[in-house]
Amino acid sequence: MTLLRLILEELKAIVADKAIAVTLFGGVLFYALLYPLPYLNQVPTEQALVVVDLDNTSLSRELIRHADASPKIRVARGAGSVAEAQHYIASGDFHGLLVIPAGFKRDLLLGKGATLSYGGDASYFLVYSALVEGLVTAGMDAAKSVQLLGMLSRGESFAGASLSLAPMHLNAVPAYNPGLGYTPYVVPGLFLLILHQTLLIGTGILGAGQWRKSGYWQQVSALELLMGRLAAFSLIYAALGAFYLGWCYHWYGVSVQAGLGDIAAFIVPFYVATAAAGVAASCLFRRRDMPTQVMLLASMPILFVSGFVWPLSLIPEPLVMAAQAIPAVPAIFGMLKLNQLGAGFDAVFSEWLTLWVLALVYLALAWWGLAVRQREVDRPGIPKQA
Amino acid sequence: MKTLLRRELGALWQNPWQLALVSYLPILAMLALWWLFSAALPRQLPVAMVDLDNSSLSRELGRHMAANPVVSPISFASLPQAQDAMNRAEVYALVVVPHGFSRELKTAVQPTVDVRYNGQFLLVGKLLAANLQQAIADAMKPLAYSKQLARGANPHQAHINIAPVATQTTALFNRNNNYVGFLVPPVLIALWQLTAMLVFANALNRELEPAARQEAIGMLPKLGAKLLCYTPLLMLQGLFIHALLFGYLKLPVAASPLWLIPAMLALLLAVFLIVAVIFLLMQESARVVSFCTALFAPAFAFMGVTFPVHDMPAAAQYWRLLMPSSHYIDSHIALVSYGVSGMELLSKNLSFMPFFLLLLPIGLLARKGLKEAQS
Repeated sequence: MTLLRLILEELKAIVADKAIAVTLFGGVLFYALLYPLPYLNQVPTEQALVVVDLDNTSLSRELIRHADASPKIRVARGAGSVAEAQHYIASGDFHGLLVIPAGFKRDLLLGKGATLSYGGDASYFLVYSALVEGLVTAGMDAAKSVQLLGMLSRGESFAGASLSLAPMHLNAVPAYNPGLGYTPYVVPGLFLLILHQTLLIGTGILGAGQWRKSGYWQQVSALELLMGRLAAFSLIYAALGAFYLGWCYHWYGVSVQAGLGDIAAFIVPFYVATAAAGVAASCLFRRRDMPTQVMLLASMPILFVSGFVWPLSLIPEPLVMAAQAIPAVPAIFGMLKLNQLGAGFDAVFSEWLTLWVLALVYLALAWWGLAVRQREVDRPGIPKQA
Repeated sequence: MKTLLRRELGALWQNPWQLALVSYLPILAMLALWWLFSAALPRQLPVAMVDLDNSSLSRELGRHMAANPVVSPISFASLPQAQDAMNRAEVYALVVVPHGFSRELKTAVQPTVDVRYNGQFLLVGKLLAANLQQAIADAMKPLAYSKQLARGANPHQAHINIAPVATQTTALFNRNNNYVGFLVPPVLIALWQLTAMLVFANALNRELEPAARQEAIGMLPKLGAKLLCYTPLLMLQGLFIHALLFGYLKLPVAASPLWLIPAMLALLLAVFLIVAVIFLLMQESARVVSFCTALFAPAFAFMGVTFPVHDMPAAAQYWRLLMPSSHYIDSHIALVSYGVSGMELLSKNLSFMPFFLLLLPIGLLARKGLKEAQS
């Protein structure tokens, strides 16, 4: 059988297998829509806030208006006491609390200083940070106007007063993902993981379904079968990868910094290593429903160990080391540097090398596994179920 | 029923994978996930510091940053080097103290300090931005204070002039912003739901085997036996999660976690009903597992813990309702954080009710029985 003919046979087997087709085409398309769906609005806005205004003066009302004007906060209701406010928060509909103490305006005008209390529901990380950011800004604005008024009343010039309050200017800006959106944060890593997992599952089901049955995979050598299988899946994943990294990134507003050449050069060893690992793993399965199960359970640990959700420097060293054996882990981190942070190819050289080493190791394992499985069919009396 | 149960347990005993799924495998995965997040509080995150001024004031700024527990400043001689480190994700933020910083401060020209933080690593970036601003503001306080004194304010008044409105921020329910308390419970629940889905799917798929097809037992009794057999085993895993979180890790909990047991049972029941419908519709083992996986794999994203539910688009909010874990996590947070009463918590479980409508298609499909075996 020629290699071209083998690749065609492989592609036919992949498309004809409904379970593989569901995973490869259905799953990849479905996940592209479903996973980013919760995050489409990008940033949490208008968190519901309960205000306890014990002062009830023009200044306290101005402060509340300042808070309400912040895009991150919506002043949802007032409460007569802190206890009442806590009751509202416990209902789960409100996530923040602002307490303006009695005598707030008087103390400030007398130059005595006053304390504002903020509370945020820290059960939800983004809700909390949005609330605190909004409240701190509103509080600072109010403080500024009070300070300025006081200093001007003491006869200082406007320019001098503002300068002595803020001796320097702090220019804090996010580099990369300038909108601090949640989709550009999650999508790059997640989509590579989806490509990785579905490729492993696809090769896994195909193999697990074929062992101990006769077919075209028996008529070629193990090495030929491996090459044909890699070629067939690479063709499919070249298209799926282009769809994810091109069209979807564009659609979801993910920054794309690297050129096509760099991306291609980086993704080739990722695909080869993953497909080879999938073929090698498929030799361990005899039941077609097993690969999906194993890969599914592994997905969440792989996602969190790849270093874009939770900083690598905080993950225990043995976990980080062990994770390097999973092609998705160096691939996600490398691609993030290459495509999102815009580092040059030399910055991802070590990841690129890791992927090639993994590719060689898994290719050898896959070759050996296929040879074992191909011999198996001729032997009578093999156990029936795994 | 007894014979049916014995049949299930026998099948379980002969299936090493299923046995692993109901016992050690999810437990190991859960422990691994907890280990991964065990640092709990992000600390000592590397930040590039480029000091182009190199004065006593700029060094003072560096010391203030080093004193912040979240920041670990690393000195870079030049801006391009620091930018390169930032692009390589070796540092998560970059602080540039401009040339002439000290002179401008003293001559009353407002100098600009640039802070760039990595927004691609959202969690780390936001944390660093807040802490760097805090550290720099603290470093500037003595200067503003001495300027006030120079202008003739008395020391007490100078303090108040600098910051007339003091603020006190409290993180409610998770006092020190512990990430183990915030992230690990939903992650483990998501993993538990996946395990339950797989266990039920495997148990049902067994009925597709030729030997099982020949037995003269109705589909409904078989379904009942599977539910009775596997629910207690899966409950034990769920209880292990709570023992780990509240018993071993001693995460704060506002009421007795035992009140969560009805919600856990409801979750398992809902998962079972969904899997049973898919099984009866598909009737091919790999497809059943693939389809259930497609449905349940993204459950974590829809729980609304990492990204608030009310900021999700409407489609996501509806899809969320299809996930039993979303209903469960609401009860979980209500109990753990807000300490709602047991009765209120039980009434929250009513949100699981629509899942019982699935009994209707299950009854219809089960009466039709299984299709002829495909080879």
